[in-house]
Amino acid sequence: MLTELETKLLGVMMVLIMLGMGASLTFKDFRIAFRKPQGILVGLLCQYGVMPFLGYLLAVLLGLSPPLAIGLILMGCMPGGTTSNIFTYFSKGVLALSIMMTICSTLVAVAAVPVLLEIYSGLRALPSEYKVPAGNVAQILVVLVVPTVIGMVLRKWNPNVGATVELLGGALGVVVILFLILTWVPRNHRLLATTPADVYTAAIGIGLVGMLLGYWLARLLRQDPRRSRTIALETGIQNGPLGVLIVVLTFSGEMQQQVLLIPVLYSLFIVLSSSAVTIWFRGITTREDLARDQAKVQAAPA
Amino acid sequence: MSAPLPVVRFTHLADLARKSSARFSSQTAFTTCMPNGMHGSLSYTDVDRLSDAFAAYLRETLGLAAGARVALQTPNCLAYPVVAFGVFKAGCVLVNTNPLYTPSEMEHQLRDSGAEALVIVDLFANKLQGILANTKVRTVVVAEVTQFFGAVPRAVIRAVMKLWYRVLPAVLVPHVRLAQALAEGAAALEAKPGALASYTQGQGLEALAALQYTGGTTGLSKGAMLTHGNLLANLEQAYAMGASHIEEGRECVLTALPLYHIFAFQFNLLCFYAVGARNVLVPSPRPVQNLQRAFDNYPITWVSGVNTLFNALLNEEWFTAFPPRQLKAAVAGGAALQGVVAQRWQRVTGTVIAEGYGLTEASPVVCFNPISGVRKPDSIGIAVAGTEIRLVDDAGQPVADGQPGELLVRGPQVMQGYWQRPDETALALRDGWLHTGDVAVVDADGYYRIVDRKKDVILVSGFNVYPNEVEDVIARMDEVLEVAVIGVPDPQTGEAVRAFIVPQGAGCDEAAVRAHCRKYLADYKVPKSVKLRTEMPKTPIGKILRKALREELREEAR
Repeated sequence: MLTELETKLLGVMMVLIMLGMGASLTFKDFRIAFRKPQGILVGLLCQYGVMPFLGYLLAVLLGLSPPLAIGLILMGCMPGGTTSNIFTYFSKGVLALSIMMTICSTLVAVAAVPVLLEIYSGLRALPSEYKVPAGNVAQILVVLVVPTVIGMVLRKWNPNVGATVELLGGALGVVVILFLILTWVPRNHRLLATTPADVYTAAIGIGLVGMLLGYWLARLLRQDPRRSRTIALETGIQNGPLGVLIVVLTFSGEMQQQVLLIPVLYSLFIVLSSSAVTIWFRGITTREDLARDQAKVQAAPA
Repeated sequence: MSAPLPVVRFTHLADLARKSSARFSSQTAFTTCMPNGMHGSLSYTDVDRLSDAFAAYLRETLGLAAGARVALQTPNCLAYPVVAFGVFKAGCVLVNTNPLYTPSEMEHQLRDSGAEALVIVDLFANKLQGILANTKVRTVVVAEVTQFFGAVPRAVIRAVMKLWYRVLPAVLVPHVRLAQALAEGAAALEAKPGALASYTQGQGLEALAALQYTGGTTGLSKGAMLTHGNLLANLEQAYAMGASHIEEGRECVLTALPLYHIFAFQFNLLCFYAVGARNVLVPSPRPVQNLQRAFDNYPITWVSGVNTLFNALLNEEWFTAFPPRQLKAAVAGGAALQGVVAQRWQRVTGTVIAEGYGLTEASPVVCFNPISGVRKPDSIGIAVAGTEIRLVDDAGQPVADGQPGELLVRGPQVMQGYWQRPDETALALRDGWLHTGDVAVVDADGYYRIVDRKKDVILVSGFNVYPNEVEDVIARMDEVLEVAVIGVPDPQTGEAVRAFIVPQGAGCDEAAVRAHCRKYLADYKVPKSVKLRTEMPKTPIGKILRKALREELREEAR
């Protein structure tokens, strides 16, 4: 499904993306974020409360086979993807919140993802050969935290290098997804044609329903609409490439093919569904801004 | 009469540039810090060499004469000091121009000043076609915000500006890039090594240095004629007020206000170049998060700002959680510093914030609270050295002690007049006294307090209400981010007080504001109406424009 070269490339790109994310940060940012942690806590609740359960629920409701189920649950357990920051930017959301949520969920992932995977695989009573070893996942995540820290150090050492790495990492987030789509779709169009509808429902649904639930939960917990939209995007957009990477490094052969199907389809379709949602959110934000503009008297030229 | 004027140490501004460059040679003079932390720097030696080249470009390549006007229209960036000092070294006259001007405002200023050359930032160079033909500008030099950056950061920033933000328009008028101009100037210098000294030979303190445009009291933009002597005297006057907190060669000053404005031009550029400071230039302080990287990456010791800037910083968590540790002092000018902002600043940063008062026509500093002496809250301080101040009534007679009167200034920093406007000059300068249009009172210790702009005073049933006082009270409310107070026509009281408020969070409504005001203000000063809005009209340095609010009301009434 993925060639050796593609797998290696994916690994390298993930490291670069994390390097870029680290370079966008200072240690101060963390300390500041945790002075008023409501937004981030709500985000983490969506990320690790709502999404894994949603993955499990969809797997049960759709009666997915074990390889598909573990793929879906894995995607549910993933931390937020860095592409969510780009979508948040375009949807005129709260960028700082989005970035902090991505980072916090990635750091928490080291502990949360192995535990959650264990719980939901157990609940679904998956055969042991389909279990993702907790140590394996933790290892991959720890490996990704290292470049994040290096990125932070780079920025402190030389702001020019830091800012360049930051931009590069952000751009690569998009490149990885495009790369996956462009190399994978043409080679696998037959597979796509024969994949049953419930697999599509699962792969697309987890993202869209995740956004919906994320929004509701955020509103319920008294986040304002703009922050709630940001949290919605952040919740629905998982780190797809990371999911793919974990599958590739854990399973092999025919089994890998089967487990990989949902993470790859998810990564593919989340770009499309997030783009649509982004345009919709952007419209809402623009309308809100306009309404505010009309409520006040015309601003004078500066 | 204030303390005697300290000795002016420099013979003209080019002399200042040369002496500092020689003394602080390899130290960093300027660093431009972009919002994402990318940066570029010039040392004192670099600035000297590059401004020499620019001077030669003006005089040799372009053939400009001494006294020719050269307009400079860039945001804060490394090109700014190179060009400004280059203009002074060429014996030419600097015309600071706001890059945010509309084409018609630009046309007015370029025509009025008779500028023959224009240095403009590429971001706004697309405003030139259509107006250039109506001016005397023969040469357009295009500068970049990333001028003198390393190749990689420059390429990255320009790519992002061009492809992502789409703010790099094509320049459609004939022009030369600043790098090219500097190369031509350097070549001309090499061919004619002795030329440089000749440009400023025999130039005295009385020579015109800059035309600094200002709306002044009558609205139409006109050029205040500031000589080398005006600017250098004011440098010494301002320096004397802060000298106790300045160590030569060791300061790092944050320049968030635009250098084309007289406050930052005098205080950040001239004063701190003279003391060998590192000057951190931020191209745009709005949104205020743009300053975060500058505070993170550089050991800022001095900040200059206006009330709105300090207020904005104090509402940023990254600033209040980690206030700059090396900070020694901040100076506020441009508009009244609200008491609550000053108190919060001192509490958060643990350093002094000193308010001063000045105006373009006085290069600009007139009064200051001495940093290490007695500082009085709500006061603009004492007259700077060598400066006389008088408070007079409408008939021009000195007012009684403690009574408000229009502030008049006489001193070495007062301009020569408005460029080619004898009528306006005669109104502003009478018998050597500059009429400021500001109403002030003075206490027994010689500390002045600006009561308000003469024309902003609100007349409620015959009582004078000073908007500053009301604003200061309203600003104490936690729910208020920004406030402006103006007078509106009222059938019962002639004029009535109206407050405009930018709220933060909920709980800010008319009833709450009025209830708050009644606790601190006499009844006639309490706003009769309160309007909430999401932002305030502001000047380029961030002063809230009451004039624009009044205009909005007039539009509404129509």
